[in-house]
Amino acid sequence: MTRSRQPGGGPSFSRRRMLAGTAAVFGGALLTPTLAGCSTSAASGITSLSYWHLLSGGDGITMATLVADVEKKLGNVSVDQTVLAWGAPYYTKLAMASAGGRAPDIAIMHASRVTGWAPGGLLDPWDLDLLAEFDVTEETFKPRIWEKGFTDGKLYSVALDSHPFIMFYNTDVADEAGVLRSDGTLIETTTPDEFIDMALEMQAVTGQHGLSWGYLNDGAQLWRLFYTLYKQHGADMVLETGKPAEYDKDAALESLEFMTKLVDGTVAATNSDINNGIAEFAGGRSGMLFSGVWELRTLQDADIAFDASTIPTLYGTPAVYADSHTFVLPHQSKPDETKRRAAYEFMSTLLKGSIDWAGAGHIPAYLPVVNDPAYDDLIPQAHYANAADLINYDPPAWFTGSGSDFQNYFLDSIQGVMLGERSPEAGLASFISRINTLLSKPNPVTA
Amino acid sequence: MPDTGATVKATRRGKPRENLAGWGFIAPFGILFILFMLVPVLWGIYLSFTNQSLTGAGGELIGFSNYAEALADPDMWRSMLNTVWFTVLSTVPLVVIALALALLVNTGLPGQWLWRLSFFMPYLLASTVVSLIWVWLYNPQLGLFNTVLGWFGVDPITWLQDPDLAMLSVVITTVWWTIGFNFLLYLAALQNIPDSQYEAASLDGAGRWRSLFSITIPQLGSTTVMVVILQLLASLKVFDQIYQMTGGGPAGTTRSAIQYIFETGFTGFRFGYSSAISYIFFVLIIVVSVIQFRITARRSA
Repeated sequence: MTRSRQPGGGPSFSRRRMLAGTAAVFGGALLTPTLAGCSTSAASGITSLSYWHLLSGGDGITMATLVADVEKKLGNVSVDQTVLAWGAPYYTKLAMASAGGRAPDIAIMHASRVTGWAPGGLLDPWDLDLLAEFDVTEETFKPRIWEKGFTDGKLYSVALDSHPFIMFYNTDVADEAGVLRSDGTLIETTTPDEFIDMALEMQAVTGQHGLSWGYLNDGAQLWRLFYTLYKQHGADMVLETGKPAEYDKDAALESLEFMTKLVDGTVAATNSDINNGIAEFAGGRSGMLFSGVWELRTLQDADIAFDASTIPTLYGTPAVYADSHTFVLPHQSKPDETKRRAAYEFMSTLLKGSIDWAGAGHIPAYLPVVNDPAYDDLIPQAHYANAADLINYDPPAWFTGSGSDFQNYFLDSIQGVMLGERSPEAGLASFISRINTLLSKPNPVTA
Repeated sequence: MPDTGATVKATRRGKPRENLAGWGFIAPFGILFILFMLVPVLWGIYLSFTNQSLTGAGGELIGFSNYAEALADPDMWRSMLNTVWFTVLSTVPLVVIALALALLVNTGLPGQWLWRLSFFMPYLLASTVVSLIWVWLYNPQLGLFNTVLGWFGVDPITWLQDPDLAMLSVVITTVWWTIGFNFLLYLAALQNIPDSQYEAASLDGAGRWRSLFSITIPQLGSTTVMVVILQLLASLKVFDQIYQMTGGGPAGTTRSAIQYIFETGFTGFRFGYSSAISYIFFVLIIVVSVIQFRITARRSA
């Protein structure tokens, strides 16, 4: 869990980053009273915004560049970034800042976490009319992404991107294995067996594995593949407080069984974490890699010829697991109107310049950017842009979403299944019982 | 000075002033203690009777229901048992091996500084660094241990992913990391045993083993009591290295009590419930301390 590769890159937990984050929190808290007084000072005419996010590594550098560009374009807004470690450190601090009513002016969250936060009063809704003034409207987003921003009829989050779980493939290996079509894409596979056959063809070429993937101690990776396959069955998962989980048992078991077939030691490694998986694929020792779009930069630095696409539809319904980085307004007890307006302006300007964000692999959510011919020139990004129509976020509940404990519970129950220590039935039953326990308790966010 | 009525009177008269000075001296500690220890402890007890959420919601008094829920929560019991199991597994080697290393170094091996440095150095590393190093060592695919075992034809071992092995693997890391502290305590105690006792013993014809069991180990008694107490408390508080190496997995087999408190409170938002668990854990530590106190009291009596 703690070493999982995440959108945002790098390990999710580091002492130095924690310290830096803590220092920023305390520093910010101490500075707030003085800054609040002079932030919109008439003398300078510059509005200063505090902006929290969880993007580190390459994504963090890209974000810093985007912010600097926006500051230059607007001229009258200055943005203080606070970067906190991905996952629990970020979400607990943001929740506490919002609960205290002295939250940052604008922040990034995962779309899948907004569901758990909005009803608790931790977030303030966006004003649709004001957004329209800055060219941010329903028409400028794919329906799935725009709708995800709503809770109880109000818009709480505006997406910057979507970052799906996809398939990278080594074009040299695929070509040699005879599974590459003349247009440079992989042959079509529509059933689990066809996919395994294709992987074995590639395995014959590499001599090691056909597919790279990793799940050890990493609930996020395990869940992303499972949920992709599960949703390909057209199945749903409904988690409602006070009721047992509604899910399709056959679809879940079939997905798990297929996953255990993949990690047989030939198709893919049995005992692999995602870092091993990426190293293996980047070293040309496998033909395919299942991972998130955020690995694109790492793979571009490796000396291999590769392309990417969504994971093949093996169970009839095209579907991919994804999440989005979204902009939210953490709850402030006394929002400053000038700052609020500046936050809208900052956010919309950043969205309009998010073509650079696509360089990091993410699919920009703002349609005018994706529809621009400049985006088609980005390869392989353009080859998986269709994912934006197929994405599935975590089933909404206060405890689900990226960086939540939900994915760890999945890991706790399912890792043993992947390692062959317990049956898929036993693993699934233990996961569902854990989830049902959580659902049986009151929702602490709205308690 | 002979005890006269005059001095008693003088003392009584001077008492308020002396008291004031005394309070003044303990004030810096006292204020910090009250602010950062007593108030949070009492506040925590209060919270444990409420449904307070991290998000600021809730906060109504709900009686003992958090405690009732916790006592019926299998995950809580499991995390407590994991912590006790870790303590048992780690304390024994951390005391016995530390003593053995100290005895070896104390025999007058050449290059004393090198031994002391090598045994103590890991202790200086941050838990994040230690965890990072050992996660790589334990890596099933690329790790040093499995690579070496592979030379002898042993199949890859999933050190941190096998429910039966994960806790043991964390214990091995912990022993490597923290043994230096106990080692130094023992070494210092060894060097305080007067040589004259060994000389007298050898005149009486005692060999090395006889001296070890009749002089060295009895003389180290009070150090051993201290080392064991410190070690028990440190092991019961285990969190960092487990959280970073396994995240509490696989299947919750290494989830510690502190981690469960952290999860219920900070990532699960349930502050009230989390407080209740921490007070149950507090009682557990007291029970362990009392048992430990009984055992050592009987031994020294």
